[in-house]
Amino acid sequence: MKIEEKLSLLNYKTDRSYAHITIDPDICAGCPDHFCVFACPANCYTLINGKLNFKYEDCVECGTCDIACSHGSVKWTLPKGDNGVIYKYG
Amino acid sequence: MSEFDVIVIGAGPAGSSAAIKLAQGGMNVLLVERGDPPGTKNVSGAVLWGDELSRVVPDWERSAPIERFVTRKEVAFLTERSKIAISYSSQDLMEKKSGKIIVRGKFDQWLARKAKDAGAMLVTGITVDKLVMDDGKVIGVMQDGDVVTSDAVIVAEGANPRVLINSGLRPKLSDHDVALGIKETIKLPENVINERFNVDSKGGYASEFVLGFLEDGLLSGGFLYTNKDTVSLGIVASLDRLRANGMTHSYDIMGKFEEHPFIKNLIKDGIPDEYAAHLVPEGGLASMPELYGNGYLVAGDAAMFTFSNGMVLQGINYAITSGLLAAETILENKTKINKETLSSYVTKLRNSYVLSDLYTFNGIQNVTWSDFTQKTMPKILDSVMMSMFDERGMPKKHLMQVLTAAVKSNGMRYTDLISSGYRMMRKM
Amino acid sequence: MLNIVVMIKQVPDSSEVEIDPVKMTLNRTKARNVVNAADLNALEFALRIKDKVGANITVISMGPPMADAAIIECMARGADRGILITDRAFAGADTYPTGLTLAATIAKIGNVDIIFGGDETTDSSTGHVGPGVAEFLGIDQITYAKEVDYEDGYVIATRDLEDGDETVKVHTPVLITVLLNSNIPRHQSLRKKIDAIRKGVESWGINELGLKPDWVGLRGSPTIVRSMKAIKEPEHLHKTVPIDQIDTIIADLVSKNIIKVGGK
Ligand SMILES: Cc1cc2nc3c(=O)[nH]c(=O)nc-3n(C[C@H](O)[C@H](O)[C@H](O)COP(=O)(O)OP(=O)(O)OC[C@H]3O[C@@H](n4cnc5c(N)ncnc54)[C@H](O)[C@@H]3O)c2cc1C
Repeated sequence: MKIEEKLSLLNYKTDRSYAHITIDPDICAGCPDHFCVFACPANCYTLINGKLNFKYEDCVECGTCDIACSHGSVKWTLPKGDNGVIYKYG
Repeated sequence: MSEFDVIVIGAGPAGSSAAIKLAQGGMNVLLVERGDPPGTKNVSGAVLWGDELSRVVPDWERSAPIERFVTRKEVAFLTERSKIAISYSSQDLMEKKSGKIIVRGKFDQWLARKAKDAGAMLVTGITVDKLVMDDGKVIGVMQDGDVVTSDAVIVAEGANPRVLINSGLRPKLSDHDVALGIKETIKLPENVINERFNVDSKGGYASEFVLGFLEDGLLSGGFLYTNKDTVSLGIVASLDRLRANGMTHSYDIMGKFEEHPFIKNLIKDGIPDEYAAHLVPEGGLASMPELYGNGYLVAGDAAMFTFSNGMVLQGINYAITSGLLAAETILENKTKINKETLSSYVTKLRNSYVLSDLYTFNGIQNVTWSDFTQKTMPKILDSVMMSMFDERGMPKKHLMQVLTAAVKSNGMRYTDLISSGYRMMRKM
Repeated sequence: MLNIVVMIKQVPDSSEVEIDPVKMTLNRTKARNVVNAADLNALEFALRIKDKVGANITVISMGPPMADAAIIECMARGADRGILITDRAFAGADTYPTGLTLAATIAKIGNVDIIFGGDETTDSSTGHVGPGVAEFLGIDQITYAKEVDYEDGYVIATRDLEDGDETVKVHTPVLITVLLNSNIPRHQSLRKKIDAIRKGVESWGINELGLKPDWVGLRGSPTIVRSMKAIKEPEHLHKTVPIDQIDTIIADLVSKNIIKVGGK
């Protein structure tokens, strides 16, 4: 099963007014490792034609990317209220 | 005057246990949880070991949502083409009901409900931003600019401690503080689980795996636990090794684990129903924040209280016990809460298994997360087994000769094996 | 001050509801209970009016006792008062007695200027209840609202109709049903949620409302469900393509008349 299919099993309440994680594209453009792409278990960080793409909608709020990024690009907060991933089993 | 006696941040096992105890002690408690209902943000295997909850919820096993009781426990090494396992089945284990297999989505909701029933105010769907300090003392919590005051705060926010970080009470996490847990829940009919794992409907199978087949420096453990009609399958992977590797996606380690022939068979025809990921504290003492301060205490994963030695992964029991001890500390000092009186929390933790285990097994992560344990040992065991059971009508060798050959073929010297083995035994 | 009532319903989270393949009914037991999404959009418009000119907002809901959690959530977003209309006698109601019961509640609250509701609920999708309440109360109604404003005794609302938008200006009292996703509801606040829990939700039953058992619940419901059918979802084709080929693929799909490019 592909990661996209696994993620499609998940239920989210997406906050359209607030992205709880943001990145600084300028820092990412010069990043030598893009470890976020490999670390994130929810495939939120992808490289498309060498450019880093980030989407917060699939985030499972684990916090790994905040540790992974050693270049100060990721700004990490928890979603507001009860927004974000909703685990049934967990 | 504060609005509440105590505010507890997080209705996981640590926070809810603390809130129950405090409410039972007559305190005016606010329990704040960002998940709605509690449990919807949390991830565990999960086997809950031990019986600490009975201190606040007598007979809790009767009302708690328990999937199965562990009756078969395995520890297994997986190499690319083999599985070497120690399997322990026991009537005693069943009768003592020491390991309870739970699903956090149901369990946390149940436990938070107990806190509410005991008289705590449970507020869900709210994320606390940080602690509020006045003159060096914690006087409450802040959410969206509003302050809610209390005489004491218990921080039980789990392994991703944003409140502590936002409040300047701990540095950001690093690769060495935590590992990454990834888990899948897979539907299988109850009777298929019973047959496949050789358990009855009450009994359960729990196995830990060393993923010796991983290459390019990756290190990861795995687990498989049987619920009533689902199976929990997951990995706990080292972040610094993933970083050093630099070319493997974390989710592909999970993929490789579930595709391993011996695992694939166990989940055959299962329907994947959920994918999840969460951090697991792994750093031990070195990763710990200050456990208390003027007006606050830290419990559970937020304090990095977990234990894993490759054979078990425990954190829920540590969370419950530390939550209860934090509550006790506050109850004993309710008229005078300050840094000095709250320091008795650490004494309590040291006198319990929570901190004594962490001291006894200090540095165990260097053994469990070593190439020796995760790579060399499985390979040696595999070679030994293979040469013992691969009957070719040749004269048999002594076990010692077999072992020596296996050690050599894996590029080690005999003395290395002995010293590594010794180190491992000492740490475990 | 303006008196606003927002009608809400607690529903099972639609993304978690499964259809029982044998009984052909919705299996709600496993799903989380949430506030019907469009009702939160309705509440948000009410809160914006409160922010602008000041208002007293009462949230009302007909449902089982556990639905008080949904009302508390609305108070945590800024509503001032919560009333749960709950009684054994109300069980099994279709949209007719539901409208009647809600109208009776609003009449009892008294002096209500604006009534808000979601356009429809995710668990029954009839869209009857709001208009029903307006008819029982004999007041004007604005349906399918996607923008709502208030000025000097008038509600100005934009309705999303199939072939265009329509902006109307209606004097209060008026009932407005709000479309899903017409705004972004504000977050709950810890401060407000604590206050809401302390204040509590009032509970009104059939006696408080002066209704007769024959008028409400199953007995007052003209609808009879004869049978249910599950509709099989068409199979979806999945295909991953390189990003630089997307234009060619879209052109291909257009030429095969599978998709259309352009306006409505
Ligand atoms: C994959 C995996 C498998 C595991 N398997 C096992 C196992 O089999 N057995 C075992 O004993 N342990 C296991 N663990 C460890 C165990 O999950 C943890 O040790 C345990 O959950 C810790 O409990 P806690 O109450 O400290 O934290 P958590 O369970 O994480 O609870 C923290 C709570 O705080 C809430 N919260 C966080 N921040 C805020 C905020 N700012 N405002 C409001 N609420 C907030 C969260 O939503 C959460 O409910 C496993 C962990 C993982 C990741």
